[in-house]
Amino acid sequence: MPQYSRRSPLYPCLAAAVSLVLSVSVAHAQEDALSLESAAAEKFELSNSTKIFIEGAVGNASQRYLPDSVDTRRASVDLMYSERIGAGLRAVFSDRLDAIHPAAVGADGPVNSLREAYLSWQPDGGDNVVDFGRINLRNGPGYGYNPTDFFRDGSLRVITSADPFALRQNRIGSVMVRAQRLWNGGSFSAAYSPKLADRPSAEGWNLDLGSTNNRDRALFTLGTQISQNVNSQVLLYSQDAVSPTFGANMTALLSDAAVAHLEWTHGSEIDLLSRVLGTSTNRVTGDRFVGGVTYTTMGKTSITAEYQYNGFGLDQSGWAALGGLPTTQLAYLSEALRLQELAPRAAYLVYVTQKALWLKDLDLTAYLRVNAVDNSKLAWVELRHHWPKFDLTLQYQQNIGSADSEFGVLPDRRVMQVLGAYYF
Amino acid sequence: MKSILLFLISALLGCGAARSAPSADDILAASDAIRNPGRSFSVTVTLTEFQNGKQVDTSTLTSYSRLQQQGGQYSSLVRFVLPARDAGKLMLKNGNDMWFYDPTNKASVRLSPQQRLLGQASNGDVATVNLGKDYKPALVGEEDVQDGERRTRKAYKLALTAATPDVTYASVEMWVDAENSRPIKARFFAESSRLLKTVYYRKFQTQLGAERPTESVIIDGLNPQLVTLMRFSDYAARTIPETWMQRDYLPRFQPD
Repeated sequence: MPQYSRRSPLYPCLAAAVSLVLSVSVAHAQEDALSLESAAAEKFELSNSTKIFIEGAVGNASQRYLPDSVDTRRASVDLMYSERIGAGLRAVFSDRLDAIHPAAVGADGPVNSLREAYLSWQPDGGDNVVDFGRINLRNGPGYGYNPTDFFRDGSLRVITSADPFALRQNRIGSVMVRAQRLWNGGSFSAAYSPKLADRPSAEGWNLDLGSTNNRDRALFTLGTQISQNVNSQVLLYSQDAVSPTFGANMTALLSDAAVAHLEWTHGSEIDLLSRVLGTSTNRVTGDRFVGGVTYTTMGKTSITAEYQYNGFGLDQSGWAALGGLPTTQLAYLSEALRLQELAPRAAYLVYVTQKALWLKDLDLTAYLRVNAVDNSKLAWVELRHHWPKFDLTLQYQQNIGSADSEFGVLPDRRVMQVLGAYYF
Repeated sequence: MKSILLFLISALLGCGAARSAPSADDILAASDAIRNPGRSFSVTVTLTEFQNGKQVDTSTLTSYSRLQQQGGQYSSLVRFVLPARDAGKLMLKNGNDMWFYDPTNKASVRLSPQQRLLGQASNGDVATVNLGKDYKPALVGEEDVQDGERRTRKAYKLALTAATPDVTYASVEMWVDAENSRPIKARFFAESSRLLKTVYYRKFQTQLGAERPTESVIIDGLNPQLVTLMRFSDYAARTIPETWMQRDYLPRFQPD
């Protein structure tokens, strides 16, 4: 290929020719663009909203304690429905049915998760809201851990993904009455969730109120937009006769491309291991914290780095003491998962999304979670291709760590699955 | 003597013409008034995406735009309608307070301006933003330019530079029809002077009391083969409370 220096007499001619070709090409492209016609508009009804999809998954999990890997299968039906049934009155229903093989411990067939079923009344154009029924009340901007999400414990009947965002899609709400007042730049809400059952149920078609309404709970939330760039919530949570827990969360726009988030709670409760073992009812005072930054590039990549801290989780010496007792370790981790709680004292998370990877409709999502106490890791990658009504997804998960570490002790070493979802 | 007389007459006519030419501010304000209804409203937006001339995607959303009392700019709440996987998702933009809400996982995620640019909702900015509020215009001159219907129109060319630091685009070139103040075409640039989008405004129809463009042709600045058509339909004047335009309202939003 001939090389032309800027000093060459041919250089200006070449530059002019390239410029001309480019401008002609752009002009042609613009000419072509103006001949395009919009697709026909589809009719839709604003007053009701229905979303239904079915999902199937097949996978394989290599095992740490078994010689052979385990094949996995899942079929799911997911429904969300809401409709205006009167002036300012709306009915909301959200349900999901999962048939999973092999079934979770205690489950004997398909598991139904009634996520939401409530009435919402908004007189006066929406400044005041009163809701009643099973409501999925969620707070907190954290990606992998949400200390201010006080209604998170016991909210998952099935685990279908290791992606923290996907997990939240399946959670069931608590029966409650909730009232909210909104004003310009802020809101105040109060929620009361009564005790309705004593213990969780593994029965597939059970409403499982024992998981979500096994004690009286109340939550007060004050949301404030401090400025165009800073937003916060202050929360006060109370359950049974326990002293209240204070919480706060905040998001801030740092630059054109960076957003920061943090969550913090402070309260007294039994530490996590004592809850699992039932060895002590002594309460200790402690904090939970999450802080992170998300940066987005012009290349459609978003990267989030997050630090997570649970003052009630096991520290280095506590975790080491469990080293010889894998059964206790697994019971501890299982309870942490049920409570949607951070198992170790501290952890790091890096969460990456890349839109239009290689292809316009191919998205990549990946995260790495690092246990800061034992340095074990969970790596998870998802490739998802979209078609108008169908998603095809490939997921890969690797649990990395020594045999007595958080991720090293888990029965699954590697999990791979292919998922297909069809949207009606 | 005759030539001096002719020179004086033409100079006088020229001065008269210069005096009667509208200012850049007036041209931009008249163009903004055509693109934007000057009141709070809702509109259905159908987006059709093309790659190399072939349709590759289509989506529908409803935009609720509120004219802010201070600043005269719009805040907007966008609800995704189609495709089915995205139905019910919301995007809020109130100045730099930008949020994405997904009803399936109840997550409200704060967005940076760059993050928002990745989605189709940001294309709405080039259609409904009040440029005169955020940019300082300068009249570059008059040009013959091809409009969105491929007719040649005499137009004022404006060069817009950002007057506030919080705008999505650092500068804009805009062509406004000299005859009727209709926006014809605009080119949107990043701070690095990189061309981000070229937009043609076309298919003018009477909507909310004035002839307004009901379709925008948006050509990607980096790859001109990527084209998005935005069609605006079902315009409706609406009372949109300011309380809607905040994060805490997103889980409560009830379309009707």
